[in-house]
Amino acid sequence: MKWILFFGVLIGSGICGREKFFGDQVFRINLRNGDEISKLNQLVNSDNFKLSFWKSPSTFGHPADVLVPSVNLQPVKSFLKSQGLEYSVTIEDLQIYHEMDRIAGDFPNLASTVKIGHSFENRSMYVLKFSTGEGRRRPAIWLNAGIHSREWISQATAIWTSRKIVSDYGKDPAITSILDKMDIFLLPVANPDGYVYTQTQNRFWRKTRSLNPGTHCIGTDPNRNWNVSFAGEGASNNPCSEVYHGAHANSEVEVKSVVDFIREHGNFKSFIDLHSYSQLLMYPYGYTVNKAPDAEELDEVARCAAKALASLSGTEYQVGPTCTTVYPASGSSIDWAYNNGIKYAFTFELRDTGHYGFLLPANQIIPTAEETWLGLKTIMEHVRDNLY
Amino acid sequence: MQPCGQSLFAPRPGNRPPATRLLALLLLLALQGAAAAPAGSRTPEDSEWCQDAELPQGLLLQAARAALHFFNFRAGSPSALRVLAEVQEGSAWINQRKERKVDLVFTTELYSTEEAKARLGKCSARVFFRNEKPRPAVNVTCTQLIERQKRQEEDYQLYRHMKQLNTPLDVVSIPDSHGHIDPSLRPIWDLAFLGSSYVMWEKTTQFLHYYVSQLSSVKQWKTNDDAIDFDYTVLLHEFSTQEIIPCRIHLVWYPGKPLKVKYHCQELQTPEASGTEDGSAVAPIELSNF
Repeated sequence: MKWILFFGVLIGSGICGREKFFGDQVFRINLRNGDEISKLNQLVNSDNFKLSFWKSPSTFGHPADVLVPSVNLQPVKSFLKSQGLEYSVTIEDLQIYHEMDRIAGDFPNLASTVKIGHSFENRSMYVLKFSTGEGRRRPAIWLNAGIHSREWISQATAIWTSRKIVSDYGKDPAITSILDKMDIFLLPVANPDGYVYTQTQNRFWRKTRSLNPGTHCIGTDPNRNWNVSFAGEGASNNPCSEVYHGAHANSEVEVKSVVDFIREHGNFKSFIDLHSYSQLLMYPYGYTVNKAPDAEELDEVARCAAKALASLSGTEYQVGPTCTTVYPASGSSIDWAYNNGIKYAFTFELRDTGHYGFLLPANQIIPTAEETWLGLKTIMEHVRDNLY
Repeated sequence: MQPCGQSLFAPRPGNRPPATRLLALLLLLALQGAAAAPAGSRTPEDSEWCQDAELPQGLLLQAARAALHFFNFRAGSPSALRVLAEVQEGSAWINQRKERKVDLVFTTELYSTEEAKARLGKCSARVFFRNEKPRPAVNVTCTQLIERQKRQEEDYQLYRHMKQLNTPLDVVSIPDSHGHIDPSLRPIWDLAFLGSSYVMWEKTTQFLHYYVSQLSSVKQWKTNDDAIDFDYTVLLHEFSTQEIIPCRIHLVWYPGKPLKVKYHCQELQTPEASGTEDGSAVAPIELSNF
């Protein structure tokens, strides 16, 4: 199975024989004269830093793109500086965007990549659209992942799920019938700036990387930034806090991009947000203890999904509304979705329950994704059978 | 004991004249103030407690966590660390200062077990969440999970392994970003976790609870006078605020002897604080049992 190799590359231990594939970057290097071109050629050919050309230098005036392994980012930067070579970092999250392109390329009649916007640091935000219908605004499901960048099992599960969807369509009756009726939009990296930061600087970064005026503290919690009980209980107005809600609702461009897309589309029926950790499956509300109008139905769906999930390896999830199951949280994605007519709104807090926490070992990625898939399917099947 | 909502001055059997009752209450409060004894030396009936019939969300879990951190610290055994399996039952009392006393029964597993179906130990505890003093007072007893001799052997093995390790350690970050711990470094992690238990015990409240995310650096490692002297930094993850808190911990350990811990955790920054984003230490709090 191709994606095992992919995950081998993703986790970098053993299979591809190289540590830390995560965090590789593409440098765009300005080449102003023949001397600079030959310096760069020399550097790449010397193989000291395991560099390779993404786009070779042809003539000066045109930049060259060079792939730099994450372990060598610092020394390469130093070298370029010492040689007076100007550069900027272009593509990051190579693996995930790469894999998304591969999926869309392998299954062109089913999957396509859609750019929905960009991040604060100007990284593109791509969703994978799975659709068997052409052009129409079919009822749709939104799968959100990686909004909190340190929750790596979320992005990993999302990309595995993407592969699963395209591989199983036409074979598994459940996903086939779901896609025959509805579209699925999957955003594997809802917070690309944070994600890169966790790979390069601070493994435990949670928020966006937007600047806050008047303080050195960076970032807003993108899951407190949605326009539903904004700045209510369960968020902080301290920009240094991990749950800082931001200057105003949708202040974060990453959040706004999703909001605008979903609004524009107008026909989403489900919004599922993947997080870690704690092994919980929750539904609205986070911003109040008051019961959501559909709480009973959502609770039942969640219980069924948790049961399906547990059927694989016995992994137990607790089920309930966000506020009383985990903690009060205002301005959250699923509360916004729910209050905007997207009834089947759920949050997964994936493995584990605190032993490894955010640092879930790589050998648990696939088991987690496989069991989560059973839970997701349960929810999607219910949506399919209860379209409104 | 009386359910909450009733006046604490409600007449009890054997009605006494008001002045005497007030005097008795004052005397009781004075006694309570003087006593430093842990919860459990006095039953809830004879203080100003009333039963908290409406158990707040998660209170039993908080009590179990506090009790378990304290248990791990007092056991002082890096090879017999326990984690929470399940809370089975519990009840709580609350006083006028909103402090709570919790009685509970819970099950535990060994932290280091790789078995799919781990053996369960059973614990019963009384936990007193106070307002003034930082640490929850804990009284806890647990059934045995590891045979005493086996535990001692494993602790000694760990101790011998540590004595042979080279210092300073080249590796920072245990586990690494992908959750991997090299088997040869596992004893270091276990000892770091043991020291962290002391810190997490002191910091756990009715509302705050912690996990050890990572051992982020090792400052020092000595084995003078036979004991292991370990100076390191862990990153604690506080769940309800989602904050990552670096704590510098200094412990002294010898198998079978009480663990000694000193620590200093970094406070959450204010927007005006100067210094780098990833933290200059603010108001140091030196807490220890050295």
